[in-house]
Amino acid sequence: MSQATIERADGGPAPVRPVKPPPSPLLIGGVAGALVATVVAGWAIDFSLAPVVDQWPMLTMILEEVVHPEWEEITDPASRLWTALAETAAIAVIATFVGSLIALGVALLGSKVSAPPAVYRVTRPVMSVIRSLPDMAYALIFVAVVTGPLPGILALTIFNIGIVAKLTSESIDAVDPGPLEALDAAGATRWQRARVAIVPQVLPNYASYVLYVFELNVRASVVLGAVGAGGIGQLIMLYFNRADYPRLASVVIVIFAVVIAIDLLSQRLRRRLV
Amino acid sequence: MSPDTATRPKPPPKWPYTVVGLALVAIVLVAGWSLDNAKWERLPQFPAEILQYAGQMLEGVLTRPGAHPEGQADPELTYGDWWLQALRLMGESVALAWIGTCVGALFSFPLAFLAASNTAPWFLRVPVRTFFNAIRAVPEILLAVIVMLPLFGLNPMAGAMAIGIHSIGSLGKLTLENIESVDQRPVEAVTAAGASWWQRIRTAVIPQMLPETVAFWLYRFEVNIRASAILGVVSAGGIGALLNRVLRGREWEWGGIMLVVIIIVTILVDQISAALRHRILHGADTIAVAA
Amino acid sequence: MSGSAPGGGNSIVFDGVSVVYPNGTRGLDQVSLTIPAGEFVVVVGLSGAGKSTLIRTINGLVPVTAGTLSVGDTDVASARGRRLRRLRAEIGMIFQGFNLVSRRSVMGNVLTGRLHDQPWFRSLLGIDTKEDKEIAFQALERVGIVEKAWVRASELSGGQQQRVAIARALAQQPSVVLADEPVASLDPPTANLVMRDLQRINRDLGITTVVNLHFLDLARRYADRIIGMRAGEVVFDGPAAEADDAVFEKIYGRSLTAEDVTA
Repeated sequence: MSQATIERADGGPAPVRPVKPPPSPLLIGGVAGALVATVVAGWAIDFSLAPVVDQWPMLTMILEEVVHPEWEEITDPASRLWTALAETAAIAVIATFVGSLIALGVALLGSKVSAPPAVYRVTRPVMSVIRSLPDMAYALIFVAVVTGPLPGILALTIFNIGIVAKLTSESIDAVDPGPLEALDAAGATRWQRARVAIVPQVLPNYASYVLYVFELNVRASVVLGAVGAGGIGQLIMLYFNRADYPRLASVVIVIFAVVIAIDLLSQRLRRRLV
Repeated sequence: MSPDTATRPKPPPKWPYTVVGLALVAIVLVAGWSLDNAKWERLPQFPAEILQYAGQMLEGVLTRPGAHPEGQADPELTYGDWWLQALRLMGESVALAWIGTCVGALFSFPLAFLAASNTAPWFLRVPVRTFFNAIRAVPEILLAVIVMLPLFGLNPMAGAMAIGIHSIGSLGKLTLENIESVDQRPVEAVTAAGASWWQRIRTAVIPQMLPETVAFWLYRFEVNIRASAILGVVSAGGIGALLNRVLRGREWEWGGIMLVVIIIVTILVDQISAALRHRILHGADTIAVAA
Repeated sequence: MSGSAPGGGNSIVFDGVSVVYPNGTRGLDQVSLTIPAGEFVVVVGLSGAGKSTLIRTINGLVPVTAGTLSVGDTDVASARGRRLRRLRAEIGMIFQGFNLVSRRSVMGNVLTGRLHDQPWFRSLLGIDTKEDKEIAFQALERVGIVEKAWVRASELSGGQQQRVAIARALAQQPSVVLADEPVASLDPPTANLVMRDLQRINRDLGITTVVNLHFLDLARRYADRIIGMRAGEVVFDGPAAEADDAVFEKIYGRSLTAEDVTA
């Protein structure tokens, strides 16, 4: 069909066809910014894939040892591996429980729905600061007081408060305001509002966040031992420093299995909750 | 009127909640009891000692940058040098987290299309998903010590690659969930118009899932900055290695400066990233709310 | 009812009440009204006419900018904190969107009407007394939905949810009931059932009842007295029988069409 045959019903001239607008400057700026950031970052860390080729023999040597793990470590239930793993599990359980309980209270203080402005305006930035430090930094400080599982538990507890309180307070911000208005109209106190109308609404989300940080804690408590905060991380550092790759491999296998098992379990639970 | 109480229904039993609650408490108590070397009796000492350390850290932070700290081997060293060094190393942490995120994004994006139920057949889906789950299950630190440190040596490239590989797993999973949650109706329309697999993805799937996925990349970048601190402990680059050495040496003034740099840079990056994510997801018309 | 019957209604007196919202919108303009105890009043008007504002000033959800407003012996404008909560406890409220906590049981929702009477330690632990449960059951029986007592609120239909909301208001043993567009989210037959419930409660218990409605038709059928509002002012105030088509035009700014009476 040629263009000339298209005529408007009222017989007037065909309107000017609009030109395709150029991409928004923000999009161009964003993409350009990301590219520049990548070049600068690559330069800052001396990005180079050459070692992959140069050092390949070294890696294959290590992997050769890794594929022959020390099975005795895994099969013997009284081995250091299982003792350390039990410690890691205990650290994760306690830190998740205590941290999540405290976080629920903090979350109520951190939302404008449940707390007066003076309170949540202070709570929110404090939560940001707590979250900005990695769990490792807390562990390093607490290890200075005493070594063993205790600093690990405390570090993860604080880490959990940061995450669960943030996510839960965001859920509280988003609760249906209708029931809150009904409770206000019925003369309820701030605490009654929270217990009756807010907590039941956010409970499934909260439970799902708790399971999520439990997953994170199992992973993190693997690592915390590296700075002396108890658990299986101590073994990782020990075998790494001794270059005992077969034993390291047995640790990897066990951690791998445990993390996958906990992920699957918690995903199933979370799917039922929300 | 007298109510006929017989027709009132009985309340449902409460004992299941009680049992679950008690079981949870029991698990926690058993966990606590199993830690025979936990030295619980030291717990009351924590507040006082931590406060004391925090005081010393604050002193380091508040001292004039030109002053010379006591007890250091180099008499020329100033607090200002500590600030600059912390900033430089934190910059390195941010850089390696960025590169790691880029590696993760680059590889996870195409792979996710081979793992989503609406874009790939099962014989591709199952292996790709298993791959995502497997690399997600290996903590970065293990990836670093077993694979990356032998390859790249004790430098930031090792950390960046460890974070990158790990990110492929977590970003891949989130991306495939985004792909699966797209509205199927436009896809159906494009298919009805005779589009090929690739055309369907380019015109109907990617436009729908790209904003959420880019937002996840930014979020992952925030997570990776924190993760890079852990890799420092095995000297895979970034601020973590020095932080580990300084805090274990109980150099609280120095450590305080490093922690403040970490806090400020992390919050700054978080705020920028949150604003960008909000802009990507909700467009320009709404105003980002700082967390 | 056994022992727990509320002691009749309270009067509501508006004297030159104005409301200006923080953004400068004028909600009410110099409203003066006297609603005697036990009356069933329906407020009609377009959305944005000030109906919701009027009803929400009565229990202090919207603060009064000028003028005085009293419920019984209590001055609403000056009530704060504990005194405001005590006043609100005396006033039951019913909402257009039901405003139930959807994840709690019907009983749990009705018991929220008893919260004002709970000492802090009981509300901390969430323990409800036998007396409170008895009051809640009687309220549920009054709206005829007692068999659903332990069902989750989210599993009920809209009409059932609104009856639970009425039971919640009744459980407060109020002297005044406010209903803000209680039937706007319901289909016409259910709407009539809910209005009939409200009317019966007003007749049986003598509770002063103020209902906002969008449609004049339902108002004429159930009200003792109709108040018409437009742009924050009272433009009609009289017995339901006097609210004819001329009045309608005054309230709605146009003449009656078939669409307006089918509710």
